[in-house]
Parts: sequence; structure tokens; C-alpha cells
Amino acid sequence: MDFELSEKHRLVRRSVRTFAEDILGPLAPIMDREAKFSWEAAKELAKINAWGLQIPEKYGGADLDSISYAITIEEISRICAATALTISVHNSVGAYPIYKFGTEEQKEKFLPDITSGKKIAAFAWTEPNAGSDAGAIESLAIEDGDVFILNGSKIFVTNGGIASTVLIGAKYQTEKGEKGYVAFILDKNMKGFEVGENEDKLGIRGSSTTSLYFHDIRIPKENILGNLNDGFKIGMQALDVGRIGIAAQAIGIAQAAYEHSVNYSKGRIQFNKPISRFQGISFKLAEMATKIDSARLLLFRTAFLKDKGVPFSKETAMSKYYASQIAREIAQEAIQIHGGYGYMKDLPVERYYRDAKVTELYEGTNEIMKFIISREILRGNL
Amino acid sequence: MLKIFVLIKQVPKTDNLQINLKTGALIRNKIDNIINPDDIFALEFALTIREKYGGVITAMTMGPSQAESSLREALAMGIDHVIHISDPIFSYSDTLQTTLVLKETFEKIKSYDVIITGSVTLDSGTGQVPYQLSEALQIPLITDIFIFEFEKDKFKCQRNFGHESQDIEVNLPVIIRIGKHFNKPRHIPLSGIKKAFEKKIEIMDFNLLNCPDEIDGCNKSPTQVIKTDKLVHKRKNEFIKGSIKEKIQRIFDIMKEHGIEKRWMQKK
Repeated sequence: MDFELSEKHRLVRRSVRTFAEDILGPLAPIMDREAKFSWEAAKELAKINAWGLQIPEKYGGADLDSISYAITIEEISRICAATALTISVHNSVGAYPIYKFGTEEQKEKFLPDITSGKKIAAFAWTEPNAGSDAGAIESLAIEDGDVFILNGSKIFVTNGGIASTVLIGAKYQTEKGEKGYVAFILDKNMKGFEVGENEDKLGIRGSSTTSLYFHDIRIPKENILGNLNDGFKIGMQALDVGRIGIAAQAIGIAQAAYEHSVNYSKGRIQFNKPISRFQGISFKLAEMATKIDSARLLLFRTAFLKDKGVPFSKETAMSKYYASQIAREIAQEAIQIHGGYGYMKDLPVERYYRDAKVTELYEGTNEIMKFIISREILRGNL
Repeated sequence: MLKIFVLIKQVPKTDNLQINLKTGALIRNKIDNIINPDDIFALEFALTIREKYGGVITAMTMGPSQAESSLREALAMGIDHVIHISDPIFSYSDTLQTTLVLKETFEKIKSYDVIITGSVTLDSGTGQVPYQLSEALQIPLITDIFIFEFEKDKFKCQRNFGHESQDIEVNLPVIIRIGKHFNKPRHIPLSGIKKAFEKKIEIMDFNLLNCPDEIDGCNKSPTQVIKTDKLVHKRKNEFIKGSIKEKIQRIFDIMKEHGIEKRWMQKK
């Protein structure tokens, strides 16, 4: 067992860090202030293949392993959590399910545009009446000859306003239970596909979140992802992978808050000494460092398990739950260390706090994460 | 097809330098090493040439085994081949010894059109190798290029420095020393990283290069680093007390002490 990052992984971290600091550094506060996704950033992200992180070269991807993926998202998030989310969702629940469950024709048709960033991908499952209760979705697809007719709506769709390719889950009328769902690959130009307004959010304001409305969309059968009855399985497996990205995003936010806290506390003089010399502050730093290291190691193990091809639902839930919780705690303590300065928008610390909170909510709330973990434990997967 | 070579060096990251206080040597570990920042401009220049004129780029470095990571980084950036010049006998080489080894390397390679270098290294700051190599290989060296083009076996460029410019034309092969910020180096594409680790690194050592006896970095380097020390910049703090008049007077006194009073008065 070797706990050191390989040379390759260190190069990934170094490269993405340089990129993020150079390109996203100046854009992050603007994206947050204006609550707008940056197409300029998107173009630059395409140059480093960030839109096709784990897709094979054959379809235009960078073919990275999952640890590299986690490092990439973390490093982007360290500078801009909103961009990290956009990239994470695009890759993990947008591109990946097409690669994993798609037919060869679908892969060849959809993936090259997705990996090149020409088309941004999204994943839409949540509905007004189906949040944690994922099975309660009401969007309905009815078979009509060689097409399906889809009606319904989705809410809180990350990348909703910028995506061209959207994976969605819908009820399929004739089947009941877990088998009664179908996953489709939709194109925003399909007739009857409507995009709602951008949501006004607490954090991750540089990412686009919208509702989607489906009015009698006629979906050709070649746009079904996987088997007709596999919709639920595809959705849940996509989320397992998505949680790696969210955990990485949370760790990136935590890392940024922590670094700012260390630097600030070393330079801030009160009572004639740097506040880092007071245990009240230095112990906070110690706690931050410990939490980040734990979360990161847990995430790397999850990524390792995924690449090994063994079940990792429990571990990915643990990673997402723990990383998001410590990110919120660390961002909160970072403001405490910065005092009034941390509360002002002149410093990015308050943004970390706003950005961190949502990681406890999406890709399954932390309560759902604990439900998944405990279910696995009680099934005997100790 | 142009045969382009780029000389790069691995240097320790300077934001967290640690020095062994007993021996005065830098403590190097494999984690905090980077490609010498100036050399990145040289790599980018090579990539630009290849994009415009075609060619094959080989990056080479002389250094211990951990220098391999910098060669992988060059490959990830888009460089075609890399050569690692490495042998225990090359350690502690000064610039002249380094040049002699490079000379042997290029004599072994035989065919080269363009050799590109950065300006200076972050860890020693001498900037001598391109000049010495030009002498050793008896080929021209061009610095401070501004605009350039290749035409058959000629390299044409405009050099800019200070208030004048020169138009220069030389026959290949040529050494080009690239200045800081000559270009904007590209970011490493993630797709390049996987490929970089699949490529083979060619290693050239003392025997393979058939080096003459005069090559012996430790014993025959004319320059020896006796000691390395950390430079500490201490900030001085003074609280100026008294009436406004006294305070202003004190500020003027300080300016006088540091000789900045005159310059300031001139500006006014």
C-alpha cells in the first residue's frame, strides 16, 4: 500500500492547479457576482480536455483514471466551485452514463461533441415531487409506434441553461416498481423541450441551474439509454459516480478555505502577535488539516475501488457525506478566523461558505447518504 | 523536417526552499521539483515552430533520476521525444561540464537543426549554457528574437533589444535562447498526461555517450559552489511619533538616509 500520489497524479494536480489559477482565478469572483456561467472559461477548459475527463481517446476524451478525475475536480473547485460543479456534472452524470450504458452508435453520435465541450451535458432526475424520494418522479413517457411521447418537468437541473445534451429519467407506463423507468438522451432542440429561468442561488452562482419542461416531446427509440427498463438503475449508478465529483468539489472548497485561513492567521497581528499563535486559532487550523486529509484519503479510496471495478456505493456515499460536511464546517471556521473581513465580499472566504453548503444537498442529501451507508452496513457489507 | 531540440532543467520550487544547514546543499525531494520556469517558454516556442513548419521536437535534460518527471511534463505538453542525460559522474557539474556533456550528446545525435534554450535557471541563475554550447558545437547562437521565420535551411529573425532592432539570417543549425515571456505557454492538456506516461524515455549515460576523461562533474568542474544559504529579507518597522511637523521631518530624514529624497524631489 502506497499513500503517495504517483508521478502521474502529481502532474495532473500541478497542471490543473496552474490552469485553474491562471484562467479561472480572475473569472471566479465575476461569475459569482454576476451569477453567470462563463463561456470564456468553457473554451479554455476545452483546451485541457476538461469536458471529457474519463472518456477514452477514441471519443475525444482524456481517458483519465478516477483518482485523476477527483484531483482535477478538486483543483478546479479550489479556485471556482461553480465551474467545478459544471465540469463534474457534465462528466460524471452526463458523459459517463452514455459511455457506460450507450450503444456504440450512441457513443459515436453523442460523445465527440460532449468531450470537445461543443455540447455541454446535464442530467435531470429531480422533480417538484421527487427529491430524496427518487422513485416518485412523474415525468411520463408513453410508447407511440416507433417513438416515445414525453411529458413532465424537472427542477434544479445543474447545467440546465447551458446544456445541449440532457439525460433524463421518466416513468414508463407499462412497468411497475424499479423496473418502470426509462432513461433518454434528449437534445435541447427537440420540439417541446423548454428551459426555465436560471435559479437565483445562495452559492455556486456561476453554474446554471434551471427547470426543464417537456411538452409532448417525440423521442426516437434510438435515444433510449440502455435497456428500456434500466432507467432507475442508470440514474442511481450515474449518481454513484457523480458523488465522487461532489466530494472532490467539497474538498476543493475546503482546501481553499483552509489555505486562506493559514495565510491570514499568520499575517493578522492582534495583541502583538499573529493570531495563528493563539491556540484558539491554531487548533482550528489543526482540525481543518485533519478533516481535509481524512476526506481526501476516503475519496481516493473510493476512486480506487471504482477503477478496480468493485462495488463502491457505500464508499462514494461516505465520501460525499463526509467531504461535504467538513467543507461546510471548514468554510464556516474560515470566516470565524477572518472575523469581519471574512464576512465581507472583498475576500473569497464568504463565497466558500455559500458554495460549500450545497454539497450537503445535491447528488443526494447527506441524510440519503447515511441511509445508503447504513443500508449497506445492515446488509452485511460492514 | 526540422529536428528541434529543447534543453530543459528541473529545478526545485522556490516557494518552500529548504537548505541543509550543515552541508549548505539544497534538500531536494521529488515532490517539489518543477521545470525551470524560463524553459517553459522554450518548450512553447518549439511547439509553435512545429505547428507552423512541421518537425520533430526532442526535449532533453541532464540531471538525477527524479528529473524524469520534468521530461514527462514536457511530453504531456506535446513534445514528441525526450532524452534523459544521467550518470552519477555528471553530478555536481557546473555550466562548463554540463556543456561538455551536451556537446557529446549532440555529437552522438549528429543531426539537429534547432536547439532552443530558456534564459536562466531558477536555482543557479547563470544563463551560461547556451553561450558555451554555441562555442562547443561551433554553431551560431541567437538571443532576444522578436519575429522569426524558417526558410529552407535558413533561420531569419528580427532581434529587439533596448532601442534598436537587427535583422539576422543564419544557416541551420542554430541555437536560439528564448527570453522570458516571449510567448504565452499553453496549459498541459489532460489528454497529454496519460500518453506522456506511456512513452519511453531515452537515457544517455557516460558510457553510451562515450565521454572523454575530461568529463567528471564532481572533480573537474572549474566552478564549485562552496555554500548555499537562504536569503532572509527582514522588514523594519518604525512607528513615527510626535507632532505632524516632527513626523514629516522624520519621514524626510528616513528618505535622506536611503537616498530616495533626491529622486522624489526630481519627480515633483
